[in-house]
Amino acid sequence: MSESATQVILRAELLGWRHRLLGRGPARLALLGVFLLAAAVFIGGGAFTLGATAGHFLPVARDTILTGGFTSLSVLMLVIGFPTVIATFFVGRELLQLVLAPIRPIDIFVARLLLAMSANLLISAILLMATLGVGVGSGAPLAFFPLAVFLIFVQVLVVTALQAILMSVVLRWVPARLARDVAAAVAGLSGAGFYLAWNISLRQSFSPRTHPDLSNFTSLVNRVEWLPSAWPGHALSAVIAGNTTEAATWVLFSVVLALLVLAMAEILYRRTLLTGLGVFGGPPAIWRRGAAKQAVAVARPGAASPFRAIALKDWLSYRRDIRRLSRMLPAFLFPIGYAFAFLRPSRSITGFWTEVFLVGFISMFMSTALATPSIPSERRGFQLLRMAPMTMAQVIRAKVMLTLPPVLVLTLVFSMVVASVSGSGVAQYAELAVLVLWLGTGFVSIGVSAGAIDPRFDASDDRRAVGIVGTLAGLGGTLGFGLLSVGALALLVFGYAAAQGISQLGPIPATPAVGALMWASGLVLLVGAAAIVIVLLWFANSRLRAWEGAIATV
Amino acid sequence: MAVPASPGSIAIEAQDLVKRYGVVRAVDGVSFQVRRGEIVGFLGANGAGKTTTLRMLCGLLTPTSGRAIIDGFDIFAQPLEAKARLGYLDEEPFVHPHLTGREFLNYIADLYRMPRGPERQQRMERLLGLFELADRNGELIGAYSHGMKQKIGLASLLIREPSVLLLDEPTNGLDPRSARLVKDLLEELAALGTTVLLSTHILEVAQALCKRVAIIDRGHIVATGTIEELRAQAGSEQASLEDLFLKLTAGPESRELIERLLAPKL
Repeated sequence: MSESATQVILRAELLGWRHRLLGRGPARLALLGVFLLAAAVFIGGGAFTLGATAGHFLPVARDTILTGGFTSLSVLMLVIGFPTVIATFFVGRELLQLVLAPIRPIDIFVARLLLAMSANLLISAILLMATLGVGVGSGAPLAFFPLAVFLIFVQVLVVTALQAILMSVVLRWVPARLARDVAAAVAGLSGAGFYLAWNISLRQSFSPRTHPDLSNFTSLVNRVEWLPSAWPGHALSAVIAGNTTEAATWVLFSVVLALLVLAMAEILYRRTLLTGLGVFGGPPAIWRRGAAKQAVAVARPGAASPFRAIALKDWLSYRRDIRRLSRMLPAFLFPIGYAFAFLRPSRSITGFWTEVFLVGFISMFMSTALATPSIPSERRGFQLLRMAPMTMAQVIRAKVMLTLPPVLVLTLVFSMVVASVSGSGVAQYAELAVLVLWLGTGFVSIGVSAGAIDPRFDASDDRRAVGIVGTLAGLGGTLGFGLLSVGALALLVFGYAAAQGISQLGPIPATPAVGALMWASGLVLLVGAAAIVIVLLWFANSRLRAWEGAIATV
Repeated sequence: MAVPASPGSIAIEAQDLVKRYGVVRAVDGVSFQVRRGEIVGFLGANGAGKTTTLRMLCGLLTPTSGRAIIDGFDIFAQPLEAKARLGYLDEEPFVHPHLTGREFLNYIADLYRMPRGPERQQRMERLLGLFELADRNGELIGAYSHGMKQKIGLASLLIREPSVLLLDEPTNGLDPRSARLVKDLLEELAALGTTVLLSTHILEVAQALCKRVAIIDRGHIVATGTIEELRAQAGSEQASLEDLFLKLTAGPESRELIERLLAPKL
């Protein structure tokens, strides 16, 4: 019996995945294995334990927990899994080959749907573990467990099909070359918004009380339990309660809904299949500008500067690259959200230290977002820099100097606003400004170095532009530099107070000698922090000088 | 400091270049010289080692052993001096898709520290006009066709007047008129003293343009010289460059392969 087209497509894709996986080398494979094992044990085990505990000790809240879990999973999949779904359904020139082949569109749809579910299935594993835990904790009948697996699979199917529908609808209004990035930006912004709303809502619940209070969360879940995403949760809680008729009704509703969504997705996908083909697979979306708009720039006489050339090129590329902008916009929501969250400090730390953490967090976050991809984002253009009569140290310096202003300005603005709200004095403003300069310079240098240590110039997306070595170097460097710097600041501030005899240091006496010792220790930590940055910059320079791209890719 | 090559001297020199990827020797002891003002064709089948050799000559790939010398400067020992004199055009030109053609040329000119001013501006306009890109004012390079990217890549080399050009398939994707323009331009440049090492699959282009050719096969140089010298080497005086190339990079005869493919099934 010959294979169906769906089987052929799936087999080719699986073969490709296998080659990509085995092509990583034994060390990377081992690392991946360890990571997956650790994730399974900690995340899976944690979710199971949490579910079992809740199922056992909170019998009244079982329905809320299950419906809330299914709805949260749907939102999470909708946001996080969106890029994979778009890429699988609409990206790639191999789709052209499928369209040209004598294959029914439904075969392409089914094959792509199964492939697109991969990311969502991974995410759903957390809910599966938690749901199984609820079943074990509440002593559910045996039928609960296969039904939970089935309903979670159905949920993943529905969400994936829904994403295909959304993208098909987006393509009706947004030009195909922009649709992917617009959709990703909307998904990213929604995800960041959901996360911040959730985080701030929980902080609001925790802060004034001595024990956790989930009343905001449960009332929210209760308000949305009518949503179709909650139906499988109702079915499972009915099974636990032993109400077979109710369980069968909710299962039927869920399955009928899944069939309807799948049918609609297939029809819409078939209609829009050609709209996105061959366009998404090409270069990143590029804004065209009217020819008449651009006047011929007359270069002002003077010496040419490679530094200025890179700065201008980066600025022009950045504001025209809608894909990079679409990735960056959600990232900018985080510092704003966290600044807002920090405006309500908890009781245990003073306002000044909250501001210190704010400065640290924002500068670290902005550096990771802006500095880390700055060298890999040169893409093939990096070869132009390698061929130009300039050293790699000059390239790194240019990138650091170019990334520094936005990071410093944004961090300064946020921290000064927060400092004003919390009524800081002039001395504390000055301390914050120095801290912003120090941390910003360090984090930006570390970020640029991380990108230079392990650049992926062939990556089409900034999020995948740095390899694992660079990512680890960046994380380690950031952590070390941040801790040493904040530690040094604490020693300097408390040392000054000790020298003045106005500080409470527990059993240690507040004397000028102790103050001087703390200052000396603080300076040692500062030297250590600077050493981390210098070592990373040196390493980045030597790695870039030795870098060689494969001919086929770069 | 080495002195730049004088007319008639050696402008490009590959000295026993080797590039190994694991056990594969992509380039295996390649040596040749190109004199100033000469156009030399660098020919070879797919995967023969042309691009690897060119990328070693321009410093994008570090050779496992051997040296690459441009205008008297070792590209790895004195990279800044050598790179200032060198222009390399990749088969798939290195461009920035989010810049317009004019912005890209300005970027390259700045990278190579060409003084800004009316002279540079005029040169840029002339090049854009020559390659018929002047009216693509607001269009970003990412939206260019392959041929237009090739043209802007060439313009980005010519704006800074390098003394040595390494060109990997420069006429790839160009329409016949633009291809002819490139050929004429290279002849003019060579007459003015620019040295050109030209890698191409189009043997007619090599035969028309190049005084000498070097043929690479499976990482080895199998022949260098003028067409007459290659004919003498191959022992067939009337042979075209295509015949010589096929003979020197011998594989199964194409006719035999076609016959085998189309043979009726038994």
